[in-house]
Amino acid sequence: METLEIIRKAIIEGQAKEVEQHVQAALDSGMKATTILYDGLIPAMAEVGRLYEEGEYFVPEMLIAARAMKTGLGLLKPFLVEGNVQPLGKVAIATVQGDLHDIGKNLVSLMLEGAGFEIVDLGVNAEPQKFVDAVQQQQVNVVAMSALLTTTMTRMKDTITALDAAGVRGKVKVIIGGAPITQAYADEIGADGYAPDASQAVNLTKRLLAAS
Amino acid sequence: MMTSKERWLAVLHREKPDRIPMDYWATPEATEKLLRHTGCDCFETMADKLHIDYLVNVEPVYVGPPVANDADTFGCRFVEMDYGHGIYRECVYHPLAQYDSVEAIERSYSWPSPDWYDYRTIPQQIAGKEDHAVRGGGSEPFLIYCRLRGLEQAYMDLAMQPEMVGYCLDKLFDLAYENTRRIYEQIPGRVTFSYIAEDLGSQTSLLFSPETIRTVFFPRMKRMMDLAHEAGVYVFTHSDGSIREIIPDLIALGIDLLNPIQWRCKGMERQALKRDFGEQVIFHGGVDNQVTLAFGTPDDVRREVQDNIDILGQNGGYILAPCHNIQEISPPENIVALYEAGYTYGQSS
Ligand code: B12
Repeated sequence: METLEIIRKAIIEGQAKEVEQHVQAALDSGMKATTILYDGLIPAMAEVGRLYEEGEYFVPEMLIAARAMKTGLGLLKPFLVEGNVQPLGKVAIATVQGDLHDIGKNLVSLMLEGAGFEIVDLGVNAEPQKFVDAVQQQQVNVVAMSALLTTTMTRMKDTITALDAAGVRGKVKVIIGGAPITQAYADEIGADGYAPDASQAVNLTKRLLAAS
Repeated sequence: MMTSKERWLAVLHREKPDRIPMDYWATPEATEKLLRHTGCDCFETMADKLHIDYLVNVEPVYVGPPVANDADTFGCRFVEMDYGHGIYRECVYHPLAQYDSVEAIERSYSWPSPDWYDYRTIPQQIAGKEDHAVRGGGSEPFLIYCRLRGLEQAYMDLAMQPEMVGYCLDKLFDLAYENTRRIYEQIPGRVTFSYIAEDLGSQTSLLFSPETIRTVFFPRMKRMMDLAHEAGVYVFTHSDGSIREIIPDLIALGIDLLNPIQWRCKGMERQALKRDFGEQVIFHGGVDNQVTLAFGTPDDVRREVQDNIDILGQNGGYILAPCHNIQEISPPENIVALYEAGYTYGQSS
């Protein structure tokens, strides 16, 4: 099996140690970090997303695959920075204020990272100002909010209002998701997009950034 | 007229109650609001007014080693998180997160013992409440495991460290088993049912693979269910979300009631559930708490109650209740509509 295929397979199977070993070996043999990223890590995570969507993978399998991917990404990072490789975009993501459901948020964040985006993870229970700060201080171009509760989904609107008030709404695309969220709700509160799952969140983000 | 308890039992025995029993689940904040709205000064008065067939919950009193206010008996620690109109408790310290093997846990961690609880007050807890069904005992260990390890680690453990999950779940199930046995022993024949639960579903699919669920969770849950059945206690199983694929397994394990029937979740359409499983299991819940109760009008709620009674309640086998704790955002008008419609419409069917 060729190296990249081994790396992809190890990520899909969630074998972090193997990923580490083979990514290191690939780097040592002179393979470019961007090649490992674009032909190894990214397609592997796309496949993981597909397996999840098709009902073959569940949350635990997704999490360990993502962890394996991150191990590899950690090794590539210094080279990507050195080579000034630009991420597809920078996404500030969090579960909104009052809400601590973060499984979905983490899967979205991992899939975005695995697709080549840079992630600013603001954690759970994030108040509107936290998103505003991230936009002002860290030059993010996408704000991604997750909410699983009827009591907290209204915070998404508050965040959009806060971005507006800070005069930065125009600088970012706002995407939302989580169990009770719908496209209709996104339209109602003036978000730029909604996606029902993590793989579709990746497509959505790419589409929005391409259009802007 | 039947008492609340007779009504519950009629459904459990597959007989016809005088009307469909109605249960109540809500956060303290939602209940507060409803009390104000109905002008009642305590839960019981309000429950009687709305014809809620509430349960009496029994549990032992903790008498073990001292536990800090922000902690629980397992050593987990919590903070209160403000969502604007109330608080949720969040676990922020996970006492088993630091260990990477069963041996390490065995060396350093001591599990709570059933002896840390006093069961003698249980008979008093049901005194004077003869008209109500009683809930006691039961288990939901993976929920505790997630707090002990941290949620993400706990989920990954299922795939990577099955021995650790197995070891801890056995400890937690043993505790629940003994706790439940001692509760039954205090009031023989008086416990109506035990919650033997585990959240296995998300909005669109199972959270874990069916193999994981079948090997890790079900055999252990079965032991709890057998204990309940031997004591003449009904098994109430709760699992949120899309769980249709494993309902046949749950029925084979011996569950009596299934909650919450989140019918807006994928694969949980009411007609099909009733058609395929209605003879083998009693449905509990069904009033949507993500859209209808929270954002609908009282008319929407009434319509949904009627639909539920028509579909889930056809030929009996249904207890009307919200799909989870009613949250503070749901207008009290909607909650009143739920119980008024259930009371009126539940008589005729
Ligand atoms: C696991 C769980 C919990 C865990 C959460 C642990 C954690 N760290 O996340 C615990 C036990 C702690 C918990 C607590 C509570 N929960 Co809860 N929980 C669930 C459950 C069973 C599964 C949620 C989940 O993780 N799904 C798996 C993930 C992968 O799916 P997901 O989150 O939907 O995410 C996917 C998509 O939505 C999308 N997505 C998600 N975020 C984003 C963001 C963007 C930008 C995009 C594009 C896409 C996207 O992609 C994800 C991956 O495909 C749901 C049931 C359900 N129907 O969803 C109830 C549920 C959400 N909980 C519920 C409730 C009521 C609560 C509590 C309020 C209970 C209470 N005290 O009354 C507390 C609140 C705690 C708090 N402050 O948040 C209710 C909410 C109902 C309502 N009216 O809002 C639900 C729906 C259960 C029910 N029967 O009604 N819960």
